[in-house]
Amino acid sequence: MNKRVVAYQLGIFVTQWALMILGFGILTRIVAPLRLVALNLPFGSYFDASVKALVALALSAIWLFVWDRQVRFYFYRRPT
Amino acid sequence: MPGMASLDWDTIAILVALGAFPVSLALTRFFMYWNSAHGIVGIDVHKLARPKIPEMCGAAVPVTLVVFAVIYCLMTGANWIPFTAYSLVVGLTAVVGAVDDRLKLRGIFKPLLTLFCGLPLLILGLEFPGQVYDPTLRVPLFGGYHLHIIYPLTILIVISVTSNTVNMLDPLNGSMSGGISIVSGGLLIGLLLTGGNSSSIFLYASLLFSLLGFFYYNRFPSRAFSGNVGQLSIGASLGALAILGKTEIASVVAMFPNIQNSFFFLSRIRRFTEHRELKARPTRLLDDERLASSEDPAAPLTLVRTLVAGKPAKEEEIVSDIWGLFLASTTLAVITLFLTGVML
Repeated sequence: MNKRVVAYQLGIFVTQWALMILGFGILTRIVAPLRLVALNLPFGSYFDASVKALVALALSAIWLFVWDRQVRFYFYRRPT
Repeated sequence: MPGMASLDWDTIAILVALGAFPVSLALTRFFMYWNSAHGIVGIDVHKLARPKIPEMCGAAVPVTLVVFAVIYCLMTGANWIPFTAYSLVVGLTAVVGAVDDRLKLRGIFKPLLTLFCGLPLLILGLEFPGQVYDPTLRVPLFGGYHLHIIYPLTILIVISVTSNTVNMLDPLNGSMSGGISIVSGGLLIGLLLTGGNSSSIFLYASLLFSLLGFFYYNRFPSRAFSGNVGQLSIGASLGALAILGKTEIASVVAMFPNIQNSFFFLSRIRRFTEHRELKARPTRLLDDERLASSEDPAAPLTLVRTLVAGKPAKEEEIVSDIWGLFLASTTLAVITLFLTGVML
């Protein structure tokens, strides 16, 4: 087993896991309770859900960006 | 069944699912023989001798899964609606995989076609509320929230993503079958410890045992290749189980190695394409049969390429590393399942 790379990957997984739980926490405690669009408007609940989905999508993009930087930091420091 | 009254439902579920192992083993053996005889073979490109190996033998897994879902329903009188949804999802993705194996579809078709494979979960879930999916997402440490509009829509995406991401991480002998066995085994243990329902426990156990039956022939050095038929249906099975078993977030965590592999592949290639269509391969085979990272900067940064960066390794060593990563991510997934019941 290539212990060095597996250990580094494990570190990435733990970081991403912690960030993921934090992200879901933000969605649960902050984003989900918000009323971004009046629900009595036509399609109000759909707009509200769409905006919250976009927030979740933005958080996912940040999460993947952090993952990307960590892997590239490891890979491009080493000769292929 | 009257004779089973003294056993609890979880034990019955696991005992029935154990039968999936010999059935999958026998079916894999049958597909090895039949596919070889009919010229359905692939070349093991990571061996210097480039042996021809029977392809599409992973069909044994979806066939076993569907057969055992029916057997379990008949034996225990379990609610047939979630089992029907599950069987249809697994069966449809297997058909898409088989068509791709035979006709060599362009890369974009697999994600598109597998989107529709989630429809049975969605339609039966809308028709029978509360029996297929529960739109409340339970979040570790923070409670949960109701997603009555978004959740049904994401079902289609979930099935497409899980099936295709499993499809993308099967480059080496036994890497997919061993890795997903670890994931399903870990989530099964997690569900048993956290009190999951018997139907989900049965489905995870049947996935584990049917995968182990196939793994026996797929492990290094492979005597059977899965093909898209196996990879897509196994991935779809994991996705469907995440929804049916309420293990959504834990399943994402367990599939971290798949996510990393797919993300880096797509971010470099920037389109859905088949490995066979790649101009720049991520790894190269050395004269001593070790795999080394490609020197081509245009090559995708796959998980295997990351694992051999700066240190070429033998195929079986890389597969062990991949399993080690699956073991780590699955451990985090089991912790996630435990934390799902905890509130800060």
